[in-house]
Amino acid sequence: MREQHSSPPVIVIGAGIVGTATAAFLAMAGTPVRLLDASAPASGATGAADGAVSVASKRPGPMMTMARAGAALYRELAGQGLFQGLFHKRPTFLVAASDAEADVLSDHSKALGEVGAPVRWLTRDGAADRLPSLTRKVVAVLEVEDEGHAIGYSIVSRLISAARLKVERYCPVASLEYEGRSGRVSGVRVGGAVIEASAVVVAAGGGAGRLIGLPDVSRPRRGQQLVTERAPGLNAALPGSLLSCSYLLSKKHEGEKADARGYGVVIDPLETGQFLIGSTREEGRTIPENDIEAVAHLAASAQEMVPALGQLRILRCFAGIRTATCDGLPMIGRMPGTENLFVAAGFEGDGICLGPLTGRIMADLVRGEEPEMDVSPFDPGRFATGSIAA
Amino acid sequence: MREADIIVVGGGPAGVSAAVEAAKSGLSVVLCEQRPALGGAIHRQPAEGAAPVAALPSLARRWQSLSAKLSASRVEVRTRRAFVGIDSTGAVLIDDRAAGKVEVRRPRALILACGAVERVRPRPGWHLPGVAAAGGLQVMLKEGRVPEGRVLLAGSGPLLLALAAQMTAAGNPPVAVVEEGDPVSRPLAATRLLTHPFILPDMAVLMMPVLLRRFLWRRGTRLTEITQSADMLSARLRAPDGREERFEVDRIGLHDGLRANDFGLTADPPSGLVILRAGDLREVLGAHAAEADGAEAGREAAARLEGRPSCGSRSAMRRHRALQHRLSRIFAPAQGATVLRDCPDETVICRCEGRTIGHLKEQLAGPDAVSARELRLNGRFGMGACQGRFCSEWALSLMSELRRSAGVPASPPDFAETGVCRWPLRPVALSSLANAGIYDDTRTERHIEGISA
Ligand SMILES: Cc1cc2nc3c(=O)[nH]c(=O)nc-3n(C[C@H](O)[C@H](O)[C@H](O)COP(=O)(O)OP(=O)(O)OC[C@H]3O[C@@H](n4cnc5c(N)ncnc54)[C@H](O)[C@@H]3O)c2cc1C
Ligand SMILES: Cc1cc2nc3c(=O)[nH]c(=O)nc-3n(C[C@H](O)[C@H](O)[C@H](O)COP(=O)(O)OP(=O)(O)OC[C@H]3O[C@@H](n4cnc5c(N)ncnc54)[C@H](O)[C@@H]3O)c2cc1C
Repeated sequence: MREQHSSPPVIVIGAGIVGTATAAFLAMAGTPVRLLDASAPASGATGAADGAVSVASKRPGPMMTMARAGAALYRELAGQGLFQGLFHKRPTFLVAASDAEADVLSDHSKALGEVGAPVRWLTRDGAADRLPSLTRKVVAVLEVEDEGHAIGYSIVSRLISAARLKVERYCPVASLEYEGRSGRVSGVRVGGAVIEASAVVVAAGGGAGRLIGLPDVSRPRRGQQLVTERAPGLNAALPGSLLSCSYLLSKKHEGEKADARGYGVVIDPLETGQFLIGSTREEGRTIPENDIEAVAHLAASAQEMVPALGQLRILRCFAGIRTATCDGLPMIGRMPGTENLFVAAGFEGDGICLGPLTGRIMADLVRGEEPEMDVSPFDPGRFATGSIAA
Repeated sequence: MREADIIVVGGGPAGVSAAVEAAKSGLSVVLCEQRPALGGAIHRQPAEGAAPVAALPSLARRWQSLSAKLSASRVEVRTRRAFVGIDSTGAVLIDDRAAGKVEVRRPRALILACGAVERVRPRPGWHLPGVAAAGGLQVMLKEGRVPEGRVLLAGSGPLLLALAAQMTAAGNPPVAVVEEGDPVSRPLAATRLLTHPFILPDMAVLMMPVLLRRFLWRRGTRLTEITQSADMLSARLRAPDGREERFEVDRIGLHDGLRANDFGLTADPPSGLVILRAGDLREVLGAHAAEADGAEAGREAAARLEGRPSCGSRSAMRRHRALQHRLSRIFAPAQGATVLRDCPDETVICRCEGRTIGHLKEQLAGPDAVSARELRLNGRFGMGACQGRFCSEWALSLMSELRRSAGVPASPPDFAETGVCRWPLRPVALSSLANAGIYDDTRTERHIEGISA
């Protein structure tokens, strides 16, 4: 059975931050759009993320460049009203606990400088002054400004209400429908029905690869996190998030072993007065659940970095699944050979920062307008042509 | 020494009898209780030096006999140990607050007998200081501190009368008990209680202060609002005929029934671990039922570990269930079910974070049909220190009330849909998690002193 529409809408698959932003920017530009999710908005990685809008944590190269633009868009939308009250500016402090980590940090600071991120080294006394709760056992601290924090599910909820979207929940797309040999998609299949579309954007996180016929292009990478009770005093004494350099190392070495488990500790002071402590990077884990070994490890590392956290109570643990492509870069753009099929997925641990920007770029691409940024490094065609094997 | 075969959580009648029964099989059994002493909700032990509060006649001797059986058994009793969850690998996590560490244990079977928690329905002013759950006042009393000043008890159910009787015996009867039901107006239903003769002496004890007019018993009456004036609380009551009345008091104890204390437990735990539920945690049927149910759970756990067919049908529960049904019919609210939607928008639902009925309505106001999980995250219902233990029920029922009034048929969504089923079940110190370790049996000892004879 085919549903009939006089002029079919654009269909966006996936109501994570990327799909919701895409649908919202399309709707706000006047393009009719339907947003479908297998479950509910922010039920994937977006609802289980930390929310660092951070250039400091990015790998040098196109990701760092795009993160600069992504953070700038957050600042713009916060000022302009759309993200008002949801984006909180604060610096990131990169903390090296050993000489080896300090070396990595030194390289990293150069790369950050090259994309224009404002960085400065804190002296030992400067660190003690600015970060009184931080352990004295640190070798080097680099402060990166122009960073911020936003909670993924809050951004999604705001975008939905601002664009007055009606998300179609519990609507899993089984496959895409192609129009004979014309090289176009005609719609998507949900259960027994086909929903017609003038264009399709696949923003289905870990579900994207299968839908676009590249099931092996990405891998799940679990992250476990903890949330403390409110501790306004301790929270106020931490002016930004603390990122252990082992986090940079864990990102650098990621994907080397099939079942590797990396720990890179991030301590994020939340607006509520709570702290978010993350996170693991666990290859191949698809179920968002917590185990005591990982949680104990995170708790111990956090306590080592900020000893006073030890006395706070943990209210909850949670886990999310990142989607990592095999070359570590997301897929953003048009699928080669299919004029009206677009994909935006594979954001690993960076999608909160990059999501709104990606949504705006996708909306432009779908509407046939020139996007504000060159996304050719993220061209999904690099996988489709077989030049990179998964 | 190897890990215990069976861990029982909860030292009330269900947990103790489960442990005693399971140990008869020769399997090793550990009983964990979060409080300093065993006893559970009914047999809570008085604090040192405090006078014990009289238990109901039908229960008085039961605990002594159960404690004696426990002392004679090989059950290892560990008090001040709170069960905080089962992780994704099936590890049972026990928070040892005194030692400041989480024990990671891997028994073959786990029996959960954590009892019931009180329900307190949101009403205007219920969050004010001086307003508590009636059970909280009872705990105070049982621990030897008599609630002082003018006290009003309100809500529904026999617990209100039990507490009033205990307060009377302790020398400070409540000013009034405000009961939404009207038990006296249902003589036929009350007569049916005669088929459960063992509770008759209990009823006599409960009714005695009422008959002696030691306090006012307002039946069929609803407490509709609490306000604060100077240093007093003012309670507004509405009688069945619509007449209003005010009471000025120092404290108010609220009680709207009991609910199984299984909040946050998943319905489908990791495989490999046998998990059984017993007592009020399985079904709130009272202390007699809990003891019998616990014994069956203990036998069933042992049978399953030994590969024997499990004997238990838990059939004994039918009678207890019938009694509870009768009681709930007798105490049914005379003015009809309450509608949360009718409370003013300022009425608090989540006390941890001060989230109100108005906040919830805002979340549901748009054209988009948000899910229960989105309501929790974006509306911050169940995000505070209690993680929704107390407010989730009300947030979800208000959500379905609002849906229904908007013409969308909806039964209250399941707790699981909100995403609250995860560990820790209770807040745990970060340092205790950092110190989490495989259970260290060099410190094993029998905490017999936890049981007072
Ligand atoms: C522990 C953790 C910490 C993180 N911290 C940060 C951070 O600090 N900063 C940062 O920038 N990023 C962070 N991230 C990464 C970020 O969360 C993700 O990159 C981002 O949320 C990805 O968004 P998405 O929309 O692509 O995917 P998702 O949020 O996963 O959304 C995909 C959606 O598609 C739906 N879907 C899937 N298949 C189908 C189908 N067939 N039909 C219909 N719908 C479908 C799913 O239900 C889901 O809702 C973190 C992630 C984790 C797990
Ligand atoms: C506040 C209150 C007042 C009551 N008053 C009366 C009354 O006056 N008369 C009457 O007939 N019935 C009363 N009941 C009901 C009666 O207590 C129960 O029917 C009976 O005690 C059930 O026995 P149980 O063993 O299942 O649970 P309980 O007796 O409640 O025992 C549960 C035990 O588990 C422990 N526990 C809970 N969670 C954990 C955890 N995570 N880790 C470790 N230990 C844990 C508790 O501390 C408690 O000791 C009351 C119930 C409550 C909640």
